[in-house]
Formats: sequence, structure tokens, C-alpha cells
Amino acid sequence: MSIWRKSTILLAALLAFGGLRLPFENSLSKELRAAGLFPPKMEIGTRERIGQTSSAVALGGLRTLVATFLNLRAFTFFTEQRWADVADTFNTIVDLAPRTRYYWETGSWHQAYNAASYYLNDSELPPLRRREAWRSSIYNGRAFLERGIRNNPDDWSLYANLGFLLSDSNKFPAYKDPNACFAAAAEAYGRAAATGKALGYVKRAQFYSLARVAGREKEALALARSLYAEGAQNRTPTLLILLLVLEAWENPDLDTGKRALELFESPEKAHESLSGHWMRTRERFPVHGVARALEALEKQLNISADKSVFNQPPPPPFNPEDMFRPK
Amino acid sequence: MSTPTSSPTQGSHTTRILTIATHAFTQLVRMKVFYFLAIFAVIAIASNFFELPQHAGPESVGANVLRSIKSWSLGAMTLFSVVLSIVATALLLPKDVEDRTLYTILAKPVPRFDYLAGKLLGVLMLVFVSLLAMDLLMTAVLQIRTSMVIAQQEEMVKALGWPPDAVASLLSETRAQGPNWSLQGAVFAVFLRASIMASLALLISTFSTSTLFTTIVSFLIYFIGHFQADARDVYLNAGQAGEGLFARLASLVFSLVLPDFQLFNVIDAVIEGQAMPLVTLGKLTLVGAYYAVFFTIASWFIFSDKEF
Repeated sequence: MSIWRKSTILLAALLAFGGLRLPFENSLSKELRAAGLFPPKMEIGTRERIGQTSSAVALGGLRTLVATFLNLRAFTFFTEQRWADVADTFNTIVDLAPRTRYYWETGSWHQAYNAASYYLNDSELPPLRRREAWRSSIYNGRAFLERGIRNNPDDWSLYANLGFLLSDSNKFPAYKDPNACFAAAAEAYGRAAATGKALGYVKRAQFYSLARVAGREKEALALARSLYAEGAQNRTPTLLILLLVLEAWENPDLDTGKRALELFESPEKAHESLSGHWMRTRERFPVHGVARALEALEKQLNISADKSVFNQPPPPPFNPEDMFRPK
Repeated sequence: MSTPTSSPTQGSHTTRILTIATHAFTQLVRMKVFYFLAIFAVIAIASNFFELPQHAGPESVGANVLRSIKSWSLGAMTLFSVVLSIVATALLLPKDVEDRTLYTILAKPVPRFDYLAGKLLGVLMLVFVSLLAMDLLMTAVLQIRTSMVIAQQEEMVKALGWPPDAVASLLSETRAQGPNWSLQGAVFAVFLRASIMASLALLISTFSTSTLFTTIVSFLIYFIGHFQADARDVYLNAGQAGEGLFARLASLVFSLVLPDFQLFNVIDAVIEGQAMPLVTLGKLTLVGAYYAVFFTIASWFIFSDKEF
């Protein structure tokens, strides 16, 4: 048989064989992608960012290996406080390994916490630019986590991290509407709990955020009661205080002193917890009925006026404008 | 009394193929190809001892260290297995011609298909044994490191007074990054990809004029094969983006001719901690076997009446 004839037959067989396997491979690809076993396609931008050599390695089926190397590079950028490079590198890393929670959480943490803190104190920048850099670092950290959630909708920890970020008293002042922040935090914690894999604290954290959303007190109270009913593991001082506060919101005539004693079992414990709550101004927790309860408890415990919590100077509320005032 | 005449059908195909495979395996072992295992051992053991810089606290670092070990090890396995399968296969036929062994074998009643299948099987045995050795080393290193990480985490959570559900969750996440069946499945997927490459290199070597040509073309196909799925998508979704007829035809030919290596990127998901279901591995095995059988038959078709 001539070589040309052979080549023609081989080519025809190759095409026929390809035609037979094409539908199977296509459906298998879809199946693997749906099961989360198949990484999304590498974008052209990612290929450009990692360079030709790494791109070839990544295309050769070693994406996670390239991500591991880039993670080391990101660490160097972090130690050199090159925040833009840290963010760029983590953007590339998560394109290569989108199912690794660690990269999403670390990338977000660098932006929202490390870069933001750096800009709080960077003396080389004028105040206005520092404030904007601080604010945008927090926004970027949040956006990065939200992208992680879109890529891993079943990951409870990413939701919980988002909830933590949005309810952090050092972070939510970056947003104009803290109420919306607390609502978003409560939703994030709620979605973490809904995965069914979250740790016990997540539902309580959802409640702590919800309790701060003005206009959703009724919902928060219902959640507090359900958590309280679940048992001793949920009866943390913050939950007990907020339950009292929300009950006082629901019933302004409630004897909060008496209710505090029921919840905390001893006047000393109640006074200590409620005093702490009174001083926690930065977190913006509601304080309905707390003053009345404290007055009653101080009377019962014979606390002198100079030791009264009302005569202690409360810590100033966190105001980003103060941080970025020209020195 | 008549003497039995030798015929190509004498003896079983399996016996002949196994004999040739064993010979090919021995031939390759004598080429000292297993030396690369020493390099792998260094990589695997070093990845366990190096304390690479980590961004986050000890609770998430532990799992990341284990992920790094898997990533290094499976990366090295992929590299070694693909290089080994291509180079070893590319060497076999030219070496047999050079040593004149091929003439001796083909002068005997050995069907050419048996010869090719035996040679391929020899290479696959070599790749399998190499991967098995690397897998054992990786699993041992990973097991040791997982125990170390878990011990450190247990100490940390005890000191911090974590609640039991948080402790259980942390430890179970760490264990998920340790050695498991999905990881063994990923190693098998590495073997399947190397098998496809070996059979493809065998096909190329049947019409190639040199070892270098076979090696270069095989590596090119290996890298281009990772784009096959993109070409297939272009063809299947053509019209939506307004591709022309030429683009459609080119993407069709590309996706029909080249193997889809992206399917085997499930290895990345396993490194990231995903579980690989057995049925997925079964389907990948089917794909690997389909390619290997087709390329072997195609090799035989070219080789069947080749003159030496």
C-alpha cells in the first residue's frame, strides 16, 4: 500500500475516531465542571500575568504547582509591603487554583487588613490619599472574598470571613451605611450556616450582626430566642445582653434589672457584662434598656457614684475622619 | 512424521506481547532511567522539611503545607511520567533498528502488532513502576507530615481552648488534605495521561525518521492537547460569536485530531482537596484506554508493511 493511501486512511480513521469520542469528551468535561473537579478555563489575562514559561507549565496540567510558586512570590511582596503586587499575584493565584479556600482568604486578608492598616499609618501619603487607599483596600478585600464565594458557593468559611469583615468595627466605618454593612454581614453568616457545615459560632455571629440592623429588631429577637432555647452553648454574655436589649425594645416597660438577674443568675455577673456592653460603643450594638438595668444593678450592689459605669469615660467611637486628619 | 511448521499464530499473543514487554522494560531499566527517582525523592523529602514562608496563622497553614507537598509531588510525577513515556517510546524503535534486534525479532514468527504492543506495554510498565515508587514516597511523606500537622494543631487548639466542633472541623479539613483514595486516583490519572502520550509517541515513531523528531512532535502535541477543549468549544458554540466557516472547520479538525488532555486536570482539583468519585476515574480510564488502543492500532497500520 502506498504511503499516501495509508496516510489518507489514517487521517480518515483519526477523524472518525475523533467524531466518536467528541460527544463523550464534551459531556465528561461538562460533568467534571459541574462537579467542581474541573478548573475554569485559564483567561488570557492570567496567561499574560504568569508569563510564558509558567503559562506553559500551567497549561501542561500543573496549575496548582504554579499557584504554589506564586504564593511564595506573594509572600515576598507582602514582606516588602507592595500591596498592589500582592493583590495582582493573588488574582492570578485564584485564577489558577479557584477551589482553594486558603488563597481566597489570604488574598482578602492582605487587602482588607494588612494593606488597610498600612495605609492608616503610611506617613508618606497625604491624608486624603491615605483615606482613599484605606477605604479601597477594604473594598477590594471584600470584593475578593465575594468573588471567592461565587467560585465556591458551598464554602461556609468564605461566607463567615465576609461576615466577619463586614461586622468588624475597624472595617465597617469604611462604608457610608453601617446598617447595610450589618445586614450584609448577617446575610453572609446566615448563608454560611445554611451550608450545614459551619461551626456553632456562625449562627451566633449572624445574630450579633442582625441585632445591629435598625428596623430588623423583631427578626433579631426571634433568632435570639431560638438560639437561647438551643442550650447553654449559645448563652454567651453578648447573646444574653442582646436578648435583654431586644426584649426591652419590644416592651419598653420591661423591668430590665429583674430580667438581667434572670438571664445572668447573679447581680455581679449581670453588672459586669452590662457595663462592658455599655462601653462597647465602637461596635454599635443597640442599648435599649441597658441604662435602666445598670442603674438598678448598681443600686442593688451599692456601687458608689465614682465607680458607676455612667461616670467612666466611654472610648471614643471609631471615626475614620479622625484617623486621616492632617497632623 | 511431520514436523510442526512455525507460523505467526504459534503461541499466544499474550505470551509474545508479555515477553517483548519484559524485554523492553529490562532494556529501559538498563538505560538507568530510574535515576530520576532520586531527584523525586529529594523533592518529596525536601518539601517535607522546608518550612516555606506562610501568610496566615497555624490553623490554616497546616493544610496549606500538605497541599504544597501534593502539588510539588504530583507536579513532578506529571513531568517525569510524560517525559519518560515520550522519550522511552521514541527511543525504542530506533534503538532496536540500531542494535539490529528488530530484524531478528521480525524474522521470527512474531506479528508486528505483538511487537508494537509489547514495546508499548514495556514502556507502560516502566511508567507504572516509576509512578508507584513516587506514589509510595509521596504517600509516606504526606502521612508523616499530616500526623505532624495534626499534632501541632491539637496542641494549638488545646492552648486556645477551642470548642469541640471547631476542633473537629479543623482536624477533618487537615485530614482531607492528607493521603486518601482520591489522591491515588489522581496518580492513576497521571498514569493514564502518560499512557496516551506513550501510545501517541509510538504512532509518531512508526513514521518518524529520528528520535528527536518523535520527541519534539510528541511534546508539541502534549501542550497543544491542553487547548483541544477550547477548540471543541469554539466548534460546538460556533455561530454565537459569529465565527466564520474557516474558524469552524479549523476548530473541528483540531478537536477531532488531537487528544483532550484537559480532562486529566482533575488532578488539580484533588490537590485542592476535592474528592474524585470512582465513576469519574472510570470514565477517565475509558478515555485513556480508547486513545491508547486507537493509537496502537494506528501504529500497527503504519508499521505492518514498513520496510527496514
